[in-house]
Amino acid sequence: MPEAAAALRERGIERLEKGIGLVFPFIAALLVASLVLLVIGKNPLLVFSLIAQEAFGSPNRIAATLSAATPLLFTGVATAICFRAGVFNVGVEGAFVVGGLGAAFVGFALPSSLGLLLVPTGFALAAAVSALWLAVPGYLLARYEIEEVVSTLMLNFVALGITGYLVNGPLLSEKSGNNVTPLIHESAELARLIPPSTLHAGFLIGLFVLAAYGFWIRRTPAGVESAIVGQNRRFARAVGISIPGTIILVMVISGVVSGLGGASHALGQLHRFAEGFSPGYGFTGMAVALLGRNTAVGILFGSILFGALASAGTTVQLFSDIPLDIVNIIEGTVMIFAVVELGRIALFRRKAVK
Amino acid sequence: MIVDQILASSIVLTTPILLAAIGGLINRQAGIVNIALDAKMLAGAFVAVIVSSVTGSWLVAVLAAAGSGALIGLFFSLAITRMRADMIVAGLGLNFLIAGLIGFVLSWSFNSSGTLRMPDVQLLPKIFPQSLSSVPVIGPMAAQIEPVTLFAWISVLVLPFVLSDTRFGLRLRATGNAPQVAHAMGLGSKSLQDMSTVIAGFFSGMGGAHLALASIGLFNEGLSAGRGFIALAAFYFGRNRPIPTALVCLLFGFLDAVQIRMQTAGLPPKLIGTIPYFMVLVALCWAGWRSVRARERAA
Repeated sequence: MPEAAAALRERGIERLEKGIGLVFPFIAALLVASLVLLVIGKNPLLVFSLIAQEAFGSPNRIAATLSAATPLLFTGVATAICFRAGVFNVGVEGAFVVGGLGAAFVGFALPSSLGLLLVPTGFALAAAVSALWLAVPGYLLARYEIEEVVSTLMLNFVALGITGYLVNGPLLSEKSGNNVTPLIHESAELARLIPPSTLHAGFLIGLFVLAAYGFWIRRTPAGVESAIVGQNRRFARAVGISIPGTIILVMVISGVVSGLGGASHALGQLHRFAEGFSPGYGFTGMAVALLGRNTAVGILFGSILFGALASAGTTVQLFSDIPLDIVNIIEGTVMIFAVVELGRIALFRRKAVK
Repeated sequence: MIVDQILASSIVLTTPILLAAIGGLINRQAGIVNIALDAKMLAGAFVAVIVSSVTGSWLVAVLAAAGSGALIGLFFSLAITRMRADMIVAGLGLNFLIAGLIGFVLSWSFNSSGTLRMPDVQLLPKIFPQSLSSVPVIGPMAAQIEPVTLFAWISVLVLPFVLSDTRFGLRLRATGNAPQVAHAMGLGSKSLQDMSTVIAGFFSGMGGAHLALASIGLFNEGLSAGRGFIALAAFYFGRNRPIPTALVCLLFGFLDAVQIRMQTAGLPPKLIGTIPYFMVLVALCWAGWRSVRARERAA
């Protein structure tokens, strides 16, 4: 009987820990943001309710929020696929950017007579380019144990440099000055879902990718195997899972998803490629994946949350002169506390054992 | 003539990278990969401009910048060592947090977006008389040297000794290379790691001060321009050894100087800017390939 009670208590503690774990980073971020707002003499509650209203207050505002969340769906999934396999890929940002340029290139360089074929071609090229982009550090990690954190981080800068060169040189639009490619053909544009807002069909593709990810991690051998590799490499090796194979696989899938995200952003949102194409979507995607604990539902909520902050942040800045940078503060705090929390829980557990 | 100028600006452009790389190297020796060097440089630059303007003293400004970097480093380190945060994610998060805080203060307190101009910013003084610059080749280079650059290079020269011949250096390296051994010997590993992160913050904050006060005397949100990451590249490429790392920094500073020249000559500066990152990839591949080959031979 005492054993059963202990087991029950244990489970209770586990549940509590899980619950705290999920919301803790977000609460910590709100506290830090509140502190900053209090320092400048603003009522945090008023600001947060203003943000909520600006993000979800009307169908138009909801559409804007979902539009801002769209790239994060892709980058969140692309990050989560690698993180859950224990592969520290921080190169989603770079893959997103090169994919976006690939799709935009298809959109303006191929003849517009291709019509409906342009969109799938753009997505396909973007996926291929980005998959190749991340396959390189994947291979280097699998074959030569080259730290993926450093290699993918460096590749981000290489991606920015190369695309920055291309849009200022060979692919520069003749009409519009500097730093942008020509606009894509109209037939290459993704449909707008609710016309006045910029919400486009890429959001639906993002939801589809998210659902596919949810299916993949739970229902396919490769998806389950990659989680085992992430949890315990020695065990994975012992049961015959190929670790190099898994590493390369998750990096390639991550690249494909990043590329699709870049294509969706280029063909649906900007209708071209421009320098500064991604204001850190890859890194926000990391915060999304961490906050969402690599689950599909978690990533959906995380994307909408950060999408809401991004879309509301701009108007909040206009109406209440609170700098937009509060969004960066929240994002950074979420990232830090999303990982701090692991240690905190371990402390909790050690006490429980005693 | 052009060579002289490029060499002279190489020296100036090397210093911030070198300072951050020294800090990152010490941190790495203690087992922490510090990915937030860039944030600390940015914070250092920001603090340096304000303090220099308010106090009118470059020395106080540089020390304040280094101190602010050290303080951020301390918080960063506590998150890693005491709350067991993942150092990479926490580091990236810190980059966002600091950039956000600076941007916030900038637009709230100074009513400016992105750039901070202050009156009477005291720049770093040149050590040698400017008449020196008429001496061929090394003259222009020497004329550029200010106290922070001098400090950086002295640190590079002292560092090998500190790391291999002092109690502190050896304990630091033991903490990084053999954490269990260090723990078993009762070296306060966590405190040593904290100290190394504080040192890393100190040096990168000072690097930030140099960025702001060497010649331009103002702060800009894009001022660090990824130099914290280039510093990371430098000590990876230099394999955590002070002298090779410093030489790599010099090379990166030279590339930076060349890149500025190239902009006027018509070569694509963006592509030249990616060279340091490519070099790191090559260095990583080389090291990885060698260790795999060594293992295969042994087997």
